[in-house]
Amino acid sequence: MTPLARRLSTLAELNRTARNWLLGWWRLIYLGALILVLTLSPSSYTRQSRGVLARHIYLNTAPNLLGFTLMCALITVVITRIVVATALSYGLSQYALQVIIRVLVLELIPLTAALFVALRCAVASGVELSQMRQQGALEALQQRGIDPMRREVLPRVTASIFSTVTLAALSCVVALVMAYLAVYGFTLSGVAVYTRLFGQVFNPAVTLIFALKTLFFSLAVSLIPMASALYDTVAQRFRTSAELRMLVRMFAVILLIEVVSLVGNYY
Amino acid sequence: MEPSSPVAQESLPPPDAPVAMPPVANLEFKALLLLIFMALLVGGSALYVLYARGVFESTQKLVLLSDDSEGVVVGMDMTFSGFPIGRVRRIELADDGKARIIVDVPTKDAHWLRTSSVFTLVRGLVGNTNIRAYTGMLKDPPLPDGAVREVLRGDAGAEVPRLVAAAKELIENLNNLTGSEGALGASLGNVQKLTDRLNGPGGALSVLLGNDAEARKLIATLDRGNALLSKLDGLAAQIDTQVFGDKGVMPETRATIVQLDNLLGEARASLKKVDAVLVEAQAVGANARAATDDLGTLRAEVESSLRKVDGLINEINRKWPFARETEIKLP
Repeated sequence: MTPLARRLSTLAELNRTARNWLLGWWRLIYLGALILVLTLSPSSYTRQSRGVLARHIYLNTAPNLLGFTLMCALITVVITRIVVATALSYGLSQYALQVIIRVLVLELIPLTAALFVALRCAVASGVELSQMRQQGALEALQQRGIDPMRREVLPRVTASIFSTVTLAALSCVVALVMAYLAVYGFTLSGVAVYTRLFGQVFNPAVTLIFALKTLFFSLAVSLIPMASALYDTVAQRFRTSAELRMLVRMFAVILLIEVVSLVGNYY
Repeated sequence: MEPSSPVAQESLPPPDAPVAMPPVANLEFKALLLLIFMALLVGGSALYVLYARGVFESTQKLVLLSDDSEGVVVGMDMTFSGFPIGRVRRIELADDGKARIIVDVPTKDAHWLRTSSVFTLVRGLVGNTNIRAYTGMLKDPPLPDGAVREVLRGDAGAEVPRLVAAAKELIENLNNLTGSEGALGASLGNVQKLTDRLNGPGGALSVLLGNDAEARKLIATLDRGNALLSKLDGLAAQIDTQVFGDKGVMPETRATIVQLDNLLGEARASLKKVDAVLVEAQAVGANARAATDDLGTLRAEVESSLRKVDGLINEINRKWPFARETEIKLP
């Protein structure tokens, strides 16, 4: 192989990789837009679809609520104790609560909720869909005149989004309550101060970034496994582990969202 | 309920066989509950954030003017006796270049602020800036809405450069003092020289008198003084024998005094004799006074005799034909 030919083949490889990469992202965005349109169109909520949606929502969220709440409470109590004890030893205890609210409620808890939903439900949903696709179940649905996107994909995505948002909201509330209890104990006398502190942390910009972050987390967690299941070619799937590729992509997106939110919050 | 769709199950026995989901009783109701739960959570959280941000409380505006708003951030508290009673809503730059800090004070806390209240902006070395309100007279009229007040600034951080400058100056002075050409160095050098001279041949005397020659003179003087003193000692011994010896001045003087005593006794006897003479002389005097009294009588008699003679002559003159005109004629 001449050097020129080698170079050309390298370039072709690079081109193909870049195209695949861009195509993958484009398909992800396209799927997101499609799901958004389907979510907003009333025709997606026929009685049958509602049943499927309800089932997915319930099975994605309800079994996780208790476990995740307990885990959150435990993590919050431990981290609060650590932060308060450290702050006390440096004589900075007046900043401890603010640090806890910022670190736990703003940053750690939504991230944990997103990862929890991703590993517990979204990845599993993606694998299910991928298997259905391989077995031709989606095509069969289409042949029967049922839109597989509306029938199988939309409920799964919506359920994951719902699950992420619910778990994030619940865990934030639990974290707030547990942090309050860990610092003040079982008394109501600190509520006013705590509320004021909370209000200082959650200024409009931070609140907006927090809401957007949670929303994008939920979108990333729910859409990426679906996109991977729907669009990854069979050849690709056998070359490398599809789940692993999907997980890497999802984590990269989550990391990116987290970094962007941090930049928005602190710069 | 999707899996129970009869059409789907008949034509395609397992349309979603790999994802067979367990049946759930009252599925739609539970899903609805979950939806309501989420809506409540999100809505409640949003309301709590709004409440914590003070959206639901009525406030009044207070404008604080400061030269420098460094460290002041939107959302920070204004405290009164350590309790937060206000929140910074906005910081803006006024036309005159001063910072305008706009504080929202909840109406329920506004009664702590009076027209005589003082506001301070204190920046610590560590930690954030604090805006504090002080009200000395709680009976003054309440602060009106939209009041504009100057804020007093106390800045621990700003003191640091001044402190550093002062310390630097001090250290420079110390360096000048302790340097090889400094005053302290010179003094120490002089002390060294002094010590050398103290240890030298002249010792402290040469230090006191300036040079060795003078010190030697003083020592010579001292020696001569010493010799003089020994001579004086001998002289004193001689004086002792001369004055207090057997034939010295003192015994003779004592004899002379005894003689003088005798002499005085004799003189006293003589004086007694003189006294007796004087007594006799007094008696003579008395006699003479008696004689003088007699002389007075005699003189009186002579005077009367003379008056008689005078009268006689006057009589004769009157009776004489050449008598002079005795009448005095008045004009």
